[in-house]
Amino acid sequence: SVTEIRSGFNAIKANIQARDPIKTLSILSYPHSLHKFKSSDRCCITHHLFNFYVDKVFKHCKTEDSYVNRKISSIANSFLSVRRKLGQCHEQNQCMCGQESTEKLDQILVNYEGLNVTSAAIKSLGELDILLDWMEKS
Amino acid sequence: EEALLPEPQNISIISTNMKHFLTWTPVIIQGETVRYSVEFQGEYEREYANESWIPICECSLITTTVCNITEDISASVAYNLRVRAAVGARRSEWGTLKGFFNRITTSLTPPLMKVIADGYHLLVELEDMGPAFQFCVLYWKKGQESRMQQKVVKEVSSVVHLDTIEAGPDYCVKAQTYVEAINRSSSFCQTQCVRVPGGTSMWL
Amino acid sequence: SGELYCSLPNPRNVHFESVNMKNVLHWSAPEGTGDGVLYKVKYSVYGVGKWIRKPECRNINRTWCDLSNETSDYEEQYYASVKAFLSGMCSDWMETTRFNPLTDTKIDPPTVSLSSTERSISIILTAPEMWRSPEGESLSLLQVYPGLQYNVSVLNKKTKKRWFFSISNNTLVVPSLEPGTAYCVSAQIHVTTPLLHSGFSKEYCTDTLKDKTA
Repeated sequence: SVTEIRSGFNAIKANIQARDPIKTLSILSYPHSLHKFKSSDRCCITHHLFNFYVDKVFKHCKTEDSYVNRKISSIANSFLSVRRKLGQCHEQNQCMCGQESTEKLDQILVNYEGLNVTSAAIKSLGELDILLDWMEKS
Repeated sequence: EEALLPEPQNISIISTNMKHFLTWTPVIIQGETVRYSVEFQGEYEREYANESWIPICECSLITTTVCNITEDISASVAYNLRVRAAVGARRSEWGTLKGFFNRITTSLTPPLMKVIADGYHLLVELEDMGPAFQFCVLYWKKGQESRMQQKVVKEVSSVVHLDTIEAGPDYCVKAQTYVEAINRSSSFCQTQCVRVPGGTSMWL
Repeated sequence: SGELYCSLPNPRNVHFESVNMKNVLHWSAPEGTGDGVLYKVKYSVYGVGKWIRKPECRNINRTWCDLSNETSDYEEQYYASVKAFLSGMCSDWMETTRFNPLTDTKIDPPTVSLSSTERSISIILTAPEMWRSPEGESLSLLQVYPGLQYNVSVLNKKTKKRWFFSISNNTLVVPSLEPGTAYCVSAQIHVTTPLLHSGFSKEYCTDTLKDKTA
């Protein structure tokens, strides 16, 4: 559940964010915050961002710390089961992506590809609370 | 080359109330202390991370034949688990759990509950089963089952107030647990009835 | 050269202390330096390219700096940094970890006001006000944390029995009580997403009125 993702993230937040020295760039928030998006875009953005984390981010986050790796595995597997539930919502609601959402998702990929893969993955993992705050707020 | 150790057998899971334990039968090597190591693999590792395995350091080179895997089974997906024996530098093959384990199959037991009538107040004391657990408490005036009322208790804090009650009739209460993470409930516990002394009750 | 100039030991334990979104940067003086150390502070919004100086915290000798105004958008995350100066020497800039006001703030307990009749007590809970700038609009805790709940504990001082209630709105009436009895109430705020809770408030007590017919 999202609560478990949040508690898994809280357990490694300081560790992961400390591995990200680049304070001047955000993957999820540049140039605009996720909070700019209306709740109607929520289903589409959440669906695609879950795919982004599962397909691109987690596999490049392996660390030398076995505790951190276990927590990343816990988060990644929780993403799979939450994504499965989101998938049902995605099918039922056919949540279409508006132009703004599509542009935002494209921008996130540009931000991601602008860094080397490990830095981009660790930065994205360190920004998980940005995604969770936005999901839980709207 | 030294003979390979026999791999652990009868690997199984005991899972109750969202606490999950891996157990196996010991490997017996005369005069030797056999140690065991446990690893897990979630659906993510299978599908997206080259079928990698993750060691559980609390169960690395242990001498007991049980490992608490609760902390690592933290998503409702299918997990693989395996155990290996070791004596010094000698290792066995990995013994792997037959079939996957998904925490949605955990067995949920009815909660321990104590019902209290304190003055004109109906209260319930519930067992603290951990943050994953909520409680659905049903209460009714005996004989009026159709007017049953429900209270969801999300956080257990000793004595929970249910309602105010009248003197005389019996009030009955039963409770079940609910685990949101797996969207399942236990069966109800034994119904308990209490009464506020005084007043005249129809049933006496 | 630069190394010598910046060879002062660094400020230590640079961190945000946040209560009800009043976000104050704190640090400890560099090791082994007596009086006379001065400090400069700067902050940055995570993901935005520049550090911004805080003029009110320039050449200060105290070891805190209120950055509430600069970090009031709780949908952003922040870093802050401190540099120490003494007798022409300076330290490195020492930074905080990433600060997320929404999840990293502490919540004060609610205040409790009580009134009573012969057989009931009425409880009104007031959540703490979130920090706001002098010209800013007030911000209620409920606006920031919509999933807010209260846990309320009611203690009968005569029987020493304590009951717990969990409520979503901020009022609770407990009827059918004993006349002429002292009841003490304490309450806690509980937010489910993100998971945050205040401590329990101090106990507020009241007596139910004496039974006139007795």
